[in-house]
Amino acid sequence: MAYKPQYYPGTTSVGKNRRKHMSGDLEKLRDISDADVVTIMGHRAPGADYPSTHPPLAEMGEPDCPIRQIVTPTPGAAAGDRIRYSQFADSMYNAPAIPYFRSYWGAINCRGCDPGTLSGRQIIEARERDIEQYTKAQMDSEMNDVALSSMRGCTVHGHSLRLDEDGMMFDMLARTEMGSDGSVYYVKDQVGIPLDRKVNVGKPMSEAEVAKKTTIFRSDNISFRGDEGLIALHHMWERRSKWGFRPE
Amino acid sequence: MGKIHTKKLFVKALNKKFGKDFDLSGKTAVYERKGPTQNARKVEFMEAAKRLEGKRGISGYNPYVHCGGVPLGQRQLVPYKLSTTEYVVEGDDLHFVNNPAMQQMWDDIRRTIIVGLDMAHEVLEKRLGKEVTPETINNYLEILNHAMPGAAVVQEHMVETHPALVDDCNVRIFTGDDNLADEIDDQYVIDINKLFPAEQAEQIKAAMGKTTWQAIHIPTIVSRTCDGGTTSRWSAMQLSMTFIDAYNMCAGEAAVADLAFAAKHAAVIQMADMLPARRARGPNEPGGLSFGFMADMVQTSRTKPYDPAQVSLNVVAAGTMLYDQIWLGSYMSGGVGFTQYATAAYTNDILDDFSYYGVDYAVDKYGGICKAPVDLATAKDIATETTMYGIEQYESFPTILEDHFGGSQRASVLAAASGISSAIATGHSQIGLAGWYCSMLVHKDAWGRLGFFGYDLQDQCGPTNVFSYQGDEGSPTELRGANYPNYAMNVGHQGEYAGISSAAHAARQDAYACNPLIKVCFANPGLIFTWDDVRKGFGMGGAREFRAAGERSLVMPAV
Repeated sequence: MAYKPQYYPGTTSVGKNRRKHMSGDLEKLRDISDADVVTIMGHRAPGADYPSTHPPLAEMGEPDCPIRQIVTPTPGAAAGDRIRYSQFADSMYNAPAIPYFRSYWGAINCRGCDPGTLSGRQIIEARERDIEQYTKAQMDSEMNDVALSSMRGCTVHGHSLRLDEDGMMFDMLARTEMGSDGSVYYVKDQVGIPLDRKVNVGKPMSEAEVAKKTTIFRSDNISFRGDEGLIALHHMWERRSKWGFRPE
Repeated sequence: MGKIHTKKLFVKALNKKFGKDFDLSGKTAVYERKGPTQNARKVEFMEAAKRLEGKRGISGYNPYVHCGGVPLGQRQLVPYKLSTTEYVVEGDDLHFVNNPAMQQMWDDIRRTIIVGLDMAHEVLEKRLGKEVTPETINNYLEILNHAMPGAAVVQEHMVETHPALVDDCNVRIFTGDDNLADEIDDQYVIDINKLFPAEQAEQIKAAMGKTTWQAIHIPTIVSRTCDGGTTSRWSAMQLSMTFIDAYNMCAGEAAVADLAFAAKHAAVIQMADMLPARRARGPNEPGGLSFGFMADMVQTSRTKPYDPAQVSLNVVAAGTMLYDQIWLGSYMSGGVGFTQYATAAYTNDILDDFSYYGVDYAVDKYGGICKAPVDLATAKDIATETTMYGIEQYESFPTILEDHFGGSQRASVLAAASGISSAIATGHSQIGLAGWYCSMLVHKDAWGRLGFFGYDLQDQCGPTNVFSYQGDEGSPTELRGANYPNYAMNVGHQGEYAGISSAAHAARQDAYACNPLIKVCFANPGLIFTWDDVRKGFGMGGAREFRAAGERSLVMPAV
């Protein structure tokens, strides 16, 4: 019987959304151009060559190794790209993504990536052309709301703060701004360096829409009390606790 | 303890922080981005830096180099209320460098050593045939309180320390023998019967038997100049010299070695164990301080024995300040200190509210303190309820969420409240620890975020060590400490574990959590820090009302 991952329990919208994030079965909401994604990431100028840390693998004369024969290199690894990152902050006020589920998405769906999870930000590192692809996938999909999620390499403070009066997540460095046309624009790259041109990433979702799309349990939306996920984690906690008790 | 009803204790603090007309439940804000000039302390810093510019001949403090020209203060810089007190101070006032009370709390530990007196008396009586009586002990203590600060007793030509620089140094004795205590001059005795509630005094004396101990606090200025490893050596040197003087001994006779060995090793209780080479610290340094000892140093258990939550919360405050701000924040990481990991646990009455909620829940459900079954089901029930309550407060009061702006802060506070409540409900610290880990998992799954990389690691694998029998991880919580394998690197945990250790015993009305000698030693009225009310002490330090010891201005030109 073929294995079918179950990902996450529960019948609520939060449970369903968590399963979508983990499986990678995500709705595409927008199409931000490759050049715009690269501009916001700030690692290289759009159109510039990829800097490399080693020659292409094909030219390196790799040793005879069964693992290398099994695993096909990612395009970035094959080309010898350096490792770069993108990092997102997601507001606790119903941003669609939450750090652990961005990490699960990365670990399950993105080859050759290294996700890192914190409370106010989530980073994925990978070879440069690979991380550009993974970043675009996140920005284009329902994982992102442009007002409640933003790419922040440093000074990420904002996930737990009250929203700005225009509904944007607080950002000390003001990397994004709400335009008069109702669209959100990046005016600085992810580490806060001003851009030559503003990058339009589209309009935010409505409050009702983010409440449906979110993966965070909140008592003013979908509460975690009594959820099937809570029962499952109690089971894990109890088993872990008992496993440590081994008097033999 | 009677039931204490939770009343959203944090609302008063939030009103003080944001102003009483402020909408604490509002989910949006106008961030005015006023920069550092909105805050009195930052303004003071800038003015001080400007005055120093010419003197120093090199650039210094300048908040406008922050983030390439975006200074602190893009959000509202709010003050902090020390929980249960009326002290409201700026965040900067709670950095240990700016807070002399915090420094003194640590100094009081580092400069303390407990040395048994019975072994020395046996040497004097059995080996040397000397008579030891209350009169000779009084004489010895008078000489010792002259010598311990750094004065000469048996040598001509000696240099001595200035008494006003070392006036915090003192030695008192305590004993389980009431008859002996009665015979000793009051000034030299830590009177267990007077300082502790009657039941606690009886517990302590029963545990001590007729033994007699010296609570030795060497000068703060010495331990600040040297290190914690110095304390036993400094103490032993003055003890030996004092025996020579008080009992008319030959300075070179072999029996002195017995006295010195007792004073340095055989009869000594260090406040903290020495650490292995990779941590590279001697005894009496924070990394070797067990949670049980930390719990016993704090004296709220004898001044407010009817309120176990309050007892635990003061231990949490002491523990987070020492373990997070000083030990991990500076000793270990080399940083400027993890101040705001710790402040979350002792300011704005948030942890207090969550903890009292958990205790109330347990009292309602199980019929009283220490009445709940000592099992995992209790920990699961109380920790889940307390964590969900806390989560709901963060969601209902966005200003609390903004106050605890980092996930590690929230995780520490939710898990501490869960652990304290579970420990108080059962009178068992291991159940408290089980509650802690349950809370961490509930929190992580509810919000999909917890702390930072390493913070989460120990909490996700942690449940396995709660009941472990493995040699290096199986200790009761009271005997674990800052260098316990799974705890050694992560901020936001250790002080709370000390609080959980304390909670179980405070709930049982125990006189002490781990060691009765530590409990009595830190009841010494001659200590400088406010050991019975830790949060008040920190508030006094922040408000610049606290006078610490070890001050050098007496021998320096005025500023």
